[in-house]
Amino acid sequence: MSAVLTTPTILDAPESRFPLDLSSRIPRIRDLFHAATRNQWNPATDVRWDDLDPSAYTEDQRFAARLYWSRRAWGEYGAISESPALQIRFCQEKHPADMRLFFTIRSQEESRHAEVCYRMAERLGGYIDQPVKTAYQGSVATHGVRKLALDPDSPLECVIAALVCAAEEIAFDVFKHLIDITPNPVAKQVLKLVMRDEVRHCAFGWHYMASRVRHLSPEELERVRQAVITMIEKVELNGYHSAWLAPETPASRVEVESDRITWEAGLGATVEELEKPVFIESIRRIRRQMQSGWGIELPMFTHPRIQGPF
Amino acid sequence: MQPTPILVERRFPLDLAQSLGSIRDLYEAGKSERWDPERDVAWAAFDRAAYAPAVLEAARKVWSRRAWIEYTGLAETPALLIRFCLEPGREADPKYFLTVRNTEEAWHVESFHRMAEACGGYIDRPADPAWEPVINQTLYRQALDAGQSLDEYVAVHCAVEDGLELELYAAYLGNARDAMVRGLLERVVADKRRHAEFGWIYLASRAPQLDAAAKAGVARAVAAWIEGVALAGYHVPSLAAGIDARGEAAAAAACAEAGLGAVTAAAEEALFAAYLRRARARLAELGVAVPELAHPRLGAI
Repeated sequence: MSAVLTTPTILDAPESRFPLDLSSRIPRIRDLFHAATRNQWNPATDVRWDDLDPSAYTEDQRFAARLYWSRRAWGEYGAISESPALQIRFCQEKHPADMRLFFTIRSQEESRHAEVCYRMAERLGGYIDQPVKTAYQGSVATHGVRKLALDPDSPLECVIAALVCAAEEIAFDVFKHLIDITPNPVAKQVLKLVMRDEVRHCAFGWHYMASRVRHLSPEELERVRQAVITMIEKVELNGYHSAWLAPETPASRVEVESDRITWEAGLGATVEELEKPVFIESIRRIRRQMQSGWGIELPMFTHPRIQGPF
Repeated sequence: MQPTPILVERRFPLDLAQSLGSIRDLYEAGKSERWDPERDVAWAAFDRAAYAPAVLEAARKVWSRRAWIEYTGLAETPALLIRFCLEPGREADPKYFLTVRNTEEAWHVESFHRMAEACGGYIDRPADPAWEPVINQTLYRQALDAGQSLDEYVAVHCAVEDGLELELYAAYLGNARDAMVRGLLERVVADKRRHAEFGWIYLASRAPQLDAAAKAGVARAVAAWIEGVALAGYHVPSLAAGIDARGEAAAAAACAEAGLGAVTAAAEEALFAAYLRRARARLAELGVAVPELAHPRLGAI
């Protein structure tokens, strides 16, 4: 018997679809929907899979890379299992149709990403369906977005700011970095294809917030700020995207070590010493953008593996 | 109102392997047959001046209503996708497929809205408010409600209902003479064919695992949907017993006559009855016996 949640959610209110406004209210988001439609790709056919020769790598390298790409698939899967709840929210609360339309293809892109990561792991010898050590599941099992999206007491601005303008921005910067350092052409191609979509995902968040910020009271902006802080402290700094940020345990050490082997093989991962400055700069950039665009000040953060506040 | 119970996800082990080949094939087909409403529909070829004002008025009503109905999927499909993720042991293939389905629904919504605009302007709600509760089905709640069987949901909404939508849109296409409308409906019908196949294929894959009680539950759910939703005029307005649908019927007739992608109310009813007979037979092959139902005007259905 599966466990069941019985807390109040936005699902409890009856649907009230009309008047159904389908016109464009945030044209820049409608443009993202159209751009996404024009720029679709297919993991099955648009990646030069035959160029990836698993036999060129050692058994240890293949296993590490399988684990790395499987972990990427788990992360992308979160956007299939959780983020679509945001779309229900957009519809239930009658947010601009642009958002409702864009998010459909955004979820499809996330499934493409999960698929392409899965295929990469398979190509290297086989997808791995869970962390090697169970203890690591806590870092990658959820980013909590479904719960937030369905919670009528969590303002949508908080969810979007935290999920998109913070978490996805960090992921985006790391992607750029990975493309720069990954020599294997197939791994690089996969990363480029994914990043092409992620550009739009991030833009969506900033466009939405730009349309909302002027309507928010200081108290509401403070809630946005707190939501971003929570996402950075409890999810990102807990290792959701980067294993070396996870609490130091035998489980996280396995993941970190596999990342290092994958990076040495040039198959797509990065390592703490290379990613750390990227991560720090990403946080700084987000802080600057939120300060200049929204007028909120993020605090300095700390993490045992990063020297000094950042 | 009681909170809607929602299953708690147990994410790992996370199976992403293909296990339902025919549904994975639908997913692959959806990706490879992707289209772009902007590029692939000849919007500029639509000659509004070729149609009388009364015809255009009818067409904007017809296409606006289609946008309202298609819109259901924008919230329903993500809810169903999440439900598949929450339900223990469900396969990866339906999850992948549903993400493509939802994009296609968005293209349909935007295209139907655009078509209504081209005919003189999209209408954002029914003229008769009595239609609103018929269309507000809150399907996203049903899809996520842990008290609702996922198999019953798929049988009703993905197999039977999506199958009916396919039949209707195929008929609209069959009666469309305007080149732009035909081009649009060809794309829509191709998508809807995959949507309906998904429902029936998935139901067939589940049927051997359903015991007699579960199959009886599926039959009850299908019957309840026919009585409470289909016969209320959700897809075929003229079936509604309690709402005057003569305006919708007149609009459909004018649109059909002009070749703008519709059929008459009588044709829709005949198509509905014939489809239900086939759907009932198909369900019976899976061991699901849907009882005979009655419509005040059409009699036994």
